[in-house]
Amino acid sequence: MFKMNTAAGKKGVKLCAALLTAVLMITGCSGGSGGSSEGNWVSIEDRYTVDPEKPAWQLDKKEEATDLTWYVNADWWNTDFGKDIVTKKIKEDLNINIKFITGDDTKLNTFFAGGDMPDLLTVFDSNSPVVQKAATWAMPLNDLAEKYDPYFNKVAAADTLNWFQLADGKTYGYPNYSNTQEDYDSGNIPAKTAFIIRKDVYEALGSPVIGTPEQFQSVMKQIKEKFPTLIPFGFNAIGEGTGSLGDTLQDFIGVPLETENGEFYDRNLDEDYLTWLKTLNTVYRDGNISDDSFADDGTAFEEKVKSGKYATMLLDGTPQQGGNLQIYLSANEGKEYVAIDGPQSTKGNAPTLNQSGITGWMINFISKDCKDPAKAMQIFTYLLSEEGQTLMNYGIEGETYQTKADGTVELLPAVKDMQLHNADKFKKDYRMGEFMFFGHDRHKALSADAFPEAIKQMQEWGKGKLKPHFILENISPDQGTPEARALSAINTKWNSTLVSMVRAKDDASFDNALAVYKSFLGENRWDDIVKVRSEKMKQNKEKLGIQ
Amino acid sequence: MNGKVAKEDLDSRIFDTLNIILLTICTVIIVVPLWNVIISSFSSGKALAEGGFIFWSPEFSLENYRAVFNDSSIWQAFFISVSKTTIGVVTHVFFCAMVGYGLSKKYIRGRKLYVAMGVITMFFSGGMIPTYLLIKSLGLLNSFWVYIIPALFSFYDVVILMNFFRNVPDSLEESAKIDGAGDWHIFLKIFIPLSMPAMATIALFNGVGQWNDFMTTKLYITDQSLYPLQMMLYEIIVQSQTQSMQNIGGSAVIETTTKGVQLATIVITTLPIVLIYPVLQRYFISGMMLGAVKE
Repeated sequence: MFKMNTAAGKKGVKLCAALLTAVLMITGCSGGSGGSSEGNWVSIEDRYTVDPEKPAWQLDKKEEATDLTWYVNADWWNTDFGKDIVTKKIKEDLNINIKFITGDDTKLNTFFAGGDMPDLLTVFDSNSPVVQKAATWAMPLNDLAEKYDPYFNKVAAADTLNWFQLADGKTYGYPNYSNTQEDYDSGNIPAKTAFIIRKDVYEALGSPVIGTPEQFQSVMKQIKEKFPTLIPFGFNAIGEGTGSLGDTLQDFIGVPLETENGEFYDRNLDEDYLTWLKTLNTVYRDGNISDDSFADDGTAFEEKVKSGKYATMLLDGTPQQGGNLQIYLSANEGKEYVAIDGPQSTKGNAPTLNQSGITGWMINFISKDCKDPAKAMQIFTYLLSEEGQTLMNYGIEGETYQTKADGTVELLPAVKDMQLHNADKFKKDYRMGEFMFFGHDRHKALSADAFPEAIKQMQEWGKGKLKPHFILENISPDQGTPEARALSAINTKWNSTLVSMVRAKDDASFDNALAVYKSFLGENRWDDIVKVRSEKMKQNKEKLGIQ
Repeated sequence: MNGKVAKEDLDSRIFDTLNIILLTICTVIIVVPLWNVIISSFSSGKALAEGGFIFWSPEFSLENYRAVFNDSSIWQAFFISVSKTTIGVVTHVFFCAMVGYGLSKKYIRGRKLYVAMGVITMFFSGGMIPTYLLIKSLGLLNSFWVYIIPALFSFYDVVILMNFFRNVPDSLEESAKIDGAGDWHIFLKIFIPLSMPAMATIALFNGVGQWNDFMTTKLYITDQSLYPLQMMLYEIIVQSQTQSMQNIGGSAVIETTTKGVQLATIVITTLPIVLIYPVLQRYFISGMMLGAVKE
């Protein structure tokens, strides 16, 4: 009996294992076949005839409300729809009900594997395979516009559509905050980087110039003497990146974007930049950069900004810190942070500050499974139009804002008051500036209320210092290639090297960290990566029409 | 003679004193951060932003809790959490006990095969996507039962229970059988009451797991009315982190900070489990005793 059982058991185990493998293989194979291959080209014959001069949402006579699900690949997205003033208006105008689903990459993968795709999709990383392979699961915007809503081409930026074109010549996704050359030229997009100093500190020191490394070092010393409770110099939280000591500092001192013959330039090893890193190291050795700055996370950094702990800061993302800077300003009138010229290139380069580029931020798609692509296309057009943009940022005329004689808009006093004193209720009832699938900075230029007081001087300072970094966008090697893996190792190495360099105890360990990094480059396909990047920069230039 | 006693006395007193000092240090190390979390969660945003306090907050405020409880759906989430935890724990323990009871009997046919099948699943799982597809074809997406049915069985727990049941003497079962008791009767009236310590341990592990789990919701639930507390609070935390990014103007008054909301969240989610622990603790103690006097 006993023997028989073991025999049966052994066979059973084998059988089981075989069965399991089979099951795994079958389920594995059936995954990924989501979505129809053609797209759901519904007929609009009995609803409306398209008119290139008029947005389709004004023509559509579809009576019953359209239910759409919209997946946003961000857990923090507010999934309410139709409760606040902005989404209520969208719901009424377009006669739609949107059900938002949020999640992270894991959830996104299950959608693709599970096969039932939402009607609309918003993702963030333009380098991800989801975006690169959009042709397999999304509907082309060009064809959608032609068939359902030609007015879309009037409101969408041609440069942006061009930029997102895939190999088949079609564009599948449309981003928000995509700034074209035209936007940069218009002067409507404000700078988001600044070297800022507390006004009281600046005045107490007699408004010194902090341009050269020597001046920088000596001013930091003076700050330490006169304001011993303050940390003389701060920068954005480092986390896994470089905080504001990487590209931000490079842009600030105007490190070139490319080599003279238009190829990829290793900005991290630029001489001018390394001089400044060395300066930061001496400032650190003087005890004027806090060790905490390297360990703080975003929240800890924000709390220091809020309480004015830093005397000076190289700050990237002034609008993101706007709320915190405003809180500090309101409580400490006269001690607020102001932008000054700060560190300058030792070679006389002018700053080339960056702003969001043409790739933008959130990228929106209409999936092939979309129940009513005509309606989905109308949403795109609606939100991109002047009407949608104004609604999203300022609400409804007469109800939340008024237009002044000079064409700028202003929030009504009651609304403004709620924005300042009851942010939670404001967010819940109005949700202005938050429903930003197709948001764009140029519409913020319409109103003095778009940005908090605390950062206006900083934006004013940045005028004329912006320079598009389009040619450097999306130039990393494709995901999954050996170059991409090597690059991710190099980036990690660079981040830790940067911190070690700034924190080096003496010149020898500074030089040593740099030398180790350089040899790390040699061991990790750096030449191949540079080749890929130079090639991609060339393609970018072709897309943008730059020689 | 006397001297020896006095020496032993002194030794044990030194030992006791050292013990007390060491344990006090340990307790302080554990209690102070906990206390700080609680105190900070009741602090105003301004006090938190300025920081620098450990035992007492300079400015008390309930705003953090208000921010968390502001959302009316939090009560619905609380209800879901409680029901999924209680139903989940009861069914899980009962189901595992049933399987464990069966597998603990040497006379069951194919016992080794079943155990082998179970062991394989402990080492190899289907992975996320196949599991998602399975759940989908079972029709469990957006259903409350996705919290209960896939969590019914854990082979690990079955092994624990199986071994526990094996310790019950065979003679007990035999005498019950002679008295005319059937399998159900023996299982329910003899084995379960005798195995309360093991049951309580598994119930606690599973309960904490169910209470803290939000991955199931993230993967399989899109209907907000089925969100448990953890998922709700997870969303509150991520939203409070990005609030500054989305505010176009920025409020001049700091009522809450991200940290404050996070701390309040920690207190709210941890409290129920902390309160349940002392209730179950007596079973652990009796469990240890039971092990100590084993034949």
